[in-house]
Amino acid sequence: MNDRPLGYRVAVVDDDQRILESLKNLLESADHAVRPFASATALLDSGCLPEIDCLISDIGMPGMDGFQLLRAVQAVRPELPVILITGHADLLNQMSPVGLGEYRLFKKPFDGEELLTAINDIGNGQVA
Amino acid sequence: MKTAAIVPEEQDLILSNLSPGPAQKRLALFLVLFLLLVYVLITVGPFSDVRTKPVSAFVPAYAMAMFVCDSITAILLFTQYSVVRSRAILIIASGYLYTALVLIPWILTFPGVFTPGSLLGGMQSTSWLYFFQHAGLPLFVIGYALSKDADPGKRVPHGKLSASIAVSVALTVALVAAVAVFCIGGEAMLPQVVLDSLHLGPLWPYVFAPVALLSVAALVVLWLRRRSVLDLWLMVVMCLYTIEIPLSYYPSPIRFSVGWYTVRVIGFISSSLVLIVLLYEIEALYTKLLRAVLAERRERMARLMTGDAVAATIAHEVKQPLTAMTTTASAGFRFLDRSSPNLERAKEAFEQIVADGHRAAAVVGSIRAMFRNDVRTRSVLDVNELIRETLVLESADLQRHRILVQAAPSDRLPEVEGDRVQLQQVLLNLITNAIDAMASRKEPRILSVSSEAYEGDGIIVSVADTGAGISTQDSEKIFNPLFTTKSDGMGMGLSICRAIIEAHHGRLWVSTNSPRGTVFQFTLRANRALSAGA
Repeated sequence: MNDRPLGYRVAVVDDDQRILESLKNLLESADHAVRPFASATALLDSGCLPEIDCLISDIGMPGMDGFQLLRAVQAVRPELPVILITGHADLLNQMSPVGLGEYRLFKKPFDGEELLTAINDIGNGQVA
Repeated sequence: MKTAAIVPEEQDLILSNLSPGPAQKRLALFLVLFLLLVYVLITVGPFSDVRTKPVSAFVPAYAMAMFVCDSITAILLFTQYSVVRSRAILIIASGYLYTALVLIPWILTFPGVFTPGSLLGGMQSTSWLYFFQHAGLPLFVIGYALSKDADPGKRVPHGKLSASIAVSVALTVALVAAVAVFCIGGEAMLPQVVLDSLHLGPLWPYVFAPVALLSVAALVVLWLRRRSVLDLWLMVVMCLYTIEIPLSYYPSPIRFSVGWYTVRVIGFISSSLVLIVLLYEIEALYTKLLRAVLAERRERMARLMTGDAVAATIAHEVKQPLTAMTTTASAGFRFLDRSSPNLERAKEAFEQIVADGHRAAAVVGSIRAMFRNDVRTRSVLDVNELIRETLVLESADLQRHRILVQAAPSDRLPEVEGDRVQLQQVLLNLITNAIDAMASRKEPRILSVSSEAYEGDGIIVSVADTGAGISTQDSEKIFNPLFTTKSDGMGMGLSICRAIIEAHHGRLWVSTNSPRGTVFQFTLRANRALSAGA
């Protein structure tokens, strides 16, 4: 695949350090600018929410989970594309809360290329 | 009816072997004394002058009620017999069957029920049938009392069960038929005990005295060999039989007198006594059985949940490094697949993948090791010792984070049975959680671990920290295998902790510490109710 000239500013939230690092590597290999955060509150406290083009977050985290983060983010920036990743697809039906805007969902372990494609689709203005 | 063999330990669950509690004995005594009082009041007291009218509907209704009571009692006793297979029960069951069946010729010969005279037989038949009925049950009771303590080895074998029941029933029917024929057919030969359809004659007490003696004899024999609930209430029945007899004749030897009605009522009570007791005990057994089945089911669910929780936690814990590995591999590939490959970052990626692979193996290994010690390896534990040991294991971490440890073990702890490795894992997990919670907080950082006796035969252990605390909505979430992600992936999960504690018949729960922080508490039971097969 060719290098992509586009470079988005992506915020990544996951409490698992290794996954956070691997996502950072993956996104940087696609020439995106990555800001990693170990918790949802860290992202919200950092104040960089207005500057990012895309958000990727784990769902299962202690404290504020992915859905709660999604709600908080959509209250401030409803148009921000959000991708959620989870390790527990089978319990997702119980957990999916109503009243959230659109988001894309990836199950662990996900295909890295698919994730990158999704980010590019978002950037190209296609519906998330 | 196929039933399992009764193990000696289960004997006390069998109705006919249960010992009556003191409350029951008191109730029996009260009943007898009350009816004695009634007897006295009617014979010599204020009631002796009361006049009552003959109610013709009374006799058939009464006979029907008695018949139903006695038949049901017989059926229940036959069922008991098929479980216990002791000849004594067979005898007493037949006794009640006899008592029920004799009522048939009795009602047929009672004057005024079907026709103005007697439908069958003559005037004497009814009273003589009454004698035979009243002589029958005591004889069967004597037979029961004499054979009930027989050697359990002499039980009736399974194959012969239905045959023995059939034979008993047939013999009883034959006996009733013989008695009926004798009293009805041979009526003319019988001594005159009644004068007419209402008045009893002077010979009556002489015939009835030996019958009364039979009940007394049955009472005595039963008293000497009394053991079970059945024995107790059969004795009451025999008492009532004995009271009935003089009451039939004194103060007024007339049918449908107060005394006569009272005798009938007492007769009905004695007929339904054993039935009521049997039904009550059946109800109690049913409740016990239900509780036991539900407890077993709950235990099985807990066991399943242990397996389920482990599976879910392993799955989750392994997915984490796997995800990191595949993502990093994609990244590494992309770094290479460029017009100018970034070898540095590709190398880094490979290193990461190796590390993550090792981490995955370690996670699986640790969970596996934990559960290799099967739940069956239980030993007697000193919980305080266990706590001390665990604190020593964690002492390096505790010192590094400058955490003050307050240990408050109780002196008088009951001994507990449990799996040492598993319980230590639980303690380790709770203490590690506490350390993590306090690691980034400001001082004072206090870890308090205490143990106390709980509810008499148990122990409660508390692990408290002064960390950030857990919000109420999270307090149940943390036991969910979902929310146990830890950045180094070694988190065993509170779900497994809870499963372990529940497999030890205890509970694990969380609450808020004051002024801040979290308290985890779990209970362990000390008595031998912990079964090895749990």
